[in-house]
This record gives sequence, C-alpha cells and structure tokens, in this order.
Amino acid sequence: MSHNSTARSGPAYVLQAQDVAIHYGGVKALDGASLTLEKGQIRGLIGPNGAGKSTVIDAITGRRALTRGQVTLMGEDVSALGAVERRRRGLSRSFQRTSIFSQMGVRQQVELASYKMGVADSQADADAILKELDLDRLSHATAEDLGYGEQRRLDLALALVGRPKVLMLDEPMAGLSVKESMDLAQHLKQLTSSWEVSVLLVEHDMDVVFGISDVVTVFELGRVIASGAPAEVRANPRVREAYLGSAA
Amino acid sequence: MNLPRIGLTTLVALAFGLAVTSFVSSGTLLSLFTQAIIYAIFAIGIGVLLRQNGMVSFGHALYFGGAGYGIGILLQAQLMPAELAIVLTLVGLTALAFVIGLIIVRVPGIAFGMLTLAIGQMAFLMASRARGVTGGADGMNIDWPSTLFGLSQSVLLKPAHMFLLCWSVLVLVLFALALLLRSRFGSITEAVRDNEERARFIGITTLLPRASVYALSALVTGVAGILSSLNTGFVSPENLHWSLSGMTLMMVVVGGARALWGPALGAVVYFLFKDILGDYATHWMSIFGLALISVIVFSPHGIAGALQRLSTLGKRGAPLPAAARPAQAH
Repeated sequence: MSHNSTARSGPAYVLQAQDVAIHYGGVKALDGASLTLEKGQIRGLIGPNGAGKSTVIDAITGRRALTRGQVTLMGEDVSALGAVERRRRGLSRSFQRTSIFSQMGVRQQVELASYKMGVADSQADADAILKELDLDRLSHATAEDLGYGEQRRLDLALALVGRPKVLMLDEPMAGLSVKESMDLAQHLKQLTSSWEVSVLLVEHDMDVVFGISDVVTVFELGRVIASGAPAEVRANPRVREAYLGSAA
Repeated sequence: MNLPRIGLTTLVALAFGLAVTSFVSSGTLLSLFTQAIIYAIFAIGIGVLLRQNGMVSFGHALYFGGAGYGIGILLQAQLMPAELAIVLTLVGLTALAFVIGLIIVRVPGIAFGMLTLAIGQMAFLMASRARGVTGGADGMNIDWPSTLFGLSQSVLLKPAHMFLLCWSVLVLVLFALALLLRSRFGSITEAVRDNEERARFIGITTLLPRASVYALSALVTGVAGILSSLNTGFVSPENLHWSLSGMTLMMVVVGGARALWGPALGAVVYFLFKDILGDYATHWMSIFGLALISVIVFSPHGIAGALQRLSTLGKRGAPLPAAARPAQAH
C-alpha cells in the first residue's frame, strides 16, 4: 500500500482507493493497488503500457467491477455504486480516446451535461466552463467540426461539468502539440487552485507529469511500485529501471 | 429550426394538403397519395429509431399490423366507442413497445436488428395461427362504426377526405416530433446515441431514453397502422410480416434518417418508382434496388441528407463547415 508521502497528520482525503483489484480470469489487470488524493492535489500515475494505470481509473469510476478492494469518496464508500451514481457524487473522468458527442453542438452538450448533473443554472455553468477552457468562441460549432486539440478540451469540459471533486484524466495530452500540451497542463494547474478539484493524471509525457504533479505514483504489472514527491520518484532506482530509463 | 419556423412550416404544409385536394380530382391518384402518406408515417416511425437511437429495426411491422389487429379486436368486442379504442390501441402498443424496448435496446448493432426480426415474426406466426381471434391467414375485416369523430364513414372514406386526414396526421406527427426532439429529451437521446459511455459519465442513465425512443417509434408506426386499417378496413398477417418492415426500412435509407422528414420523402420516392416504373417493368424493384445502392454509395444520409448538404453549401458558399471558425482558438 502506497500513500501520499506528504508528511501531515490525518490528511483529509477526498479520495481513497484501498487494495483495489480487477482480475480477468487468471489475468491480474490490477492487483491490490492503493492510493489517495487530497483536495486540490494532482497525482500523476505513470508506468509502462499495461501496468494498470487506466484500469485503476476504471476501478475508481465504476466502469469495471472490483474483484476486491474499496473506493471511498469524501469518506463515503462508493464501491457498490454504478458509474452514473459515482459521477453524480463527484467522480469524473476523461478517456484515452476523445469522448464527446460528435454530432451535437459544443454548448448544447456542455449545457446538457450541466443539466444532468443537477446544476441550477445550467446555461450559465456551461458558459463558464466553455470560457474557462477557451471554447466559448466555438459554442455553436458541431463537435465533429472541431480540431483535435479543441475536441480534447471539449472532452475536458464535459468532465468538469458539475464541479467534480475528483477528475481522472487518461492521457489527456495524447496527440496534442507541445504548445497545446503545455496550455492544457496550465489549465489543469489553475483548476486545482480555483475550483479545488483533485486530479488523477495518467500521462506518458514525463515533462507534464513531473511538471505539474504534487505526487507521482508508479505502476508496474498492476501494482504500485513507488509513490512520492516527483523528485523522490524520479530518483528511485527501481522506477528508473522499470520505466523512466534515460527519460529521467 | 426554431419554434416559429416549425409552426409556420406546419401551417404551410397543412394548407398544401388542402390545395392538393382542390387541384387533384382523380380518386385513384388521391388513393395512391394516401397509401404513400400512410407508409411515410410508418417510415418516420422507423426513422425516429434510427435517428435518435442509431438502431435499425427489421420488425416494426409488429406495431403497424399490431395497431390494425388491436383496433379490429376491440371494435369486434364492442366494448367501447371507436375513438376510445383507437386511443387504447395506441397506448397499449406504446406500453408494450416500452417493455420490449427495456429488454432489447441493451443489445447493440446487428443483434438488436435480429431480435426485432424475431419478435416481429413471432407476432406474424401468432396472428396467422390464432384463427379464432385474428381470422388466421385470411385476415380480419375491421368493423368501423358508421361515424368516427363525428364524421360519417361515407364522408370520411372519400379519397379526398381520406387523403386530407392522412396528410394532416403526417404533418402533425412531424410537428409533434420536431417539438419533442428539440426538447431536453431530444438532446439526451442524441447524446446516448452519439456516445453511450460518455453519456453515463455526465450522469445520464442510458436505458430509459433508448427504450423511450423505441416506444415513441412504435407509437408513430401504430398511428400509421390505424390509418391503414381505416383506409382498407382490413388487416392480415401480411401487415406484420418482416418483408413489410424491410420495404419500409428501404424507404428510410433512400430518404435518409438525419432529417425527420427524410423517411417520408423516401416513401414518396418509393411509391413514385412503384407507380411509374411498375407500368413499364415487371421487375421494377430491381430498378429501385439500383437506386437504393446509388443512394447508399453516394449519399449515405439519403436524399434528405444530400438536399441538406446542398442547402448548407448554398448558405455558406464554402464547402468546409469549420471555415467560419476563428483561425486560432487557443
């Protein structure tokens, strides 16, 4: 079990995943991983392909049923709840592949999401989110007509609707240019302070992960092999051997 | 399309129907138009399912023939006025479809189509064999009362009046669907169709919207079935057969399902082919088949899709929809 290494007495965890495991027959996609998130914290998840990073997001959000373990959000055990209920309680996510409503208008879909999340003034909420992500000028465009970077930001906008407590992002920088990646990273950092959202970030861009994460957790073969402050993890010989190599 | 425009279009369409009855005096032609309109409503029923759920049904004749049998059996039993029997038949069909929908809309793609086919054929076989109730393979006559909604049958069944009734129902069905689908319900069903997983992750429970669209499509198809039974005074197992569903599905593909009116256009094209080519070629369906292939290859969204694209290009004067966007958004 690897917890945040930040020395603090009794931190108020927004999210706690304890000993979560997902097995497919004999294949252990996730084999007893534990992690926590504090308010406004960004935790980077890194590791080789197939290490279990996306699976841990699936486990926390209820997309995949747990073989064992427990997920707690703001002290409430949400392990038995479905994906919709967990989302309504504040567990939000994006997917590896852009996941938007391609044939709907940009504002229409963000407003719909706000409405479904029970936001009182869904129109104003949608406008605020679109402005936050610089998508307000594209409000009336159809999503399929947007550029790739804009679609990724729309994906993030949908995940941000309802001011989630925890935002889990699965390779949000994939396919973006360096500038777009840096801009998105900047947005994420701002969101954690202005909206107090906690972020679980799965990403292969090490500059981004080590640049914006408060803590970094390293996965290998469905298990956590290291966790701690970015500099600490970067210096960990096992992590260097298993994943970072010369990138460190 | 905004609300005033929908209202105006509806009024113009209703007036158009009146104009047709003023200018066309041939009873044969009006009867042909009536038949085309009934199938247009049927096609809209299938089209709504495709448009809002992205699902293809091969068994919607269940609700077309089912409406005929429902009204026929209720009128035979003489338990209630015909007007109430119509309402009860449509409510019953919609409820049945909702329950069936709750089970089958969970199944994606071709498997869903096969399930609709299987359920439709079960109904066909049941109607064919339950001779005591349905008249079996011979079908059953429908005992419509002498007056319906205050109109005597002799007035109602005149070709011009029947045409006007069916046309008005078609226009009102389109009007009601346009209003419904521009509401929150329309957005939710579009979202579920586009991306079910993402829909769940914005808090949408995806089963109910899908089942509701299935029930809605059955209701529209049932309306067509009621009109057909009124027009012919007869219903037989053929009205439940999968080939009828297949034929109507072809109308939807030719017309296109992205626009609500696309399937209706497909039905008109189908009947034009049937009427015009049928006089010259015994195998007119093969020519229609070629037209179908051409539409699928060159305009996957049907004739309505092609017309909409032309209209968009005409308005923008440029081929790319993204051309009006800011050059650098971020």
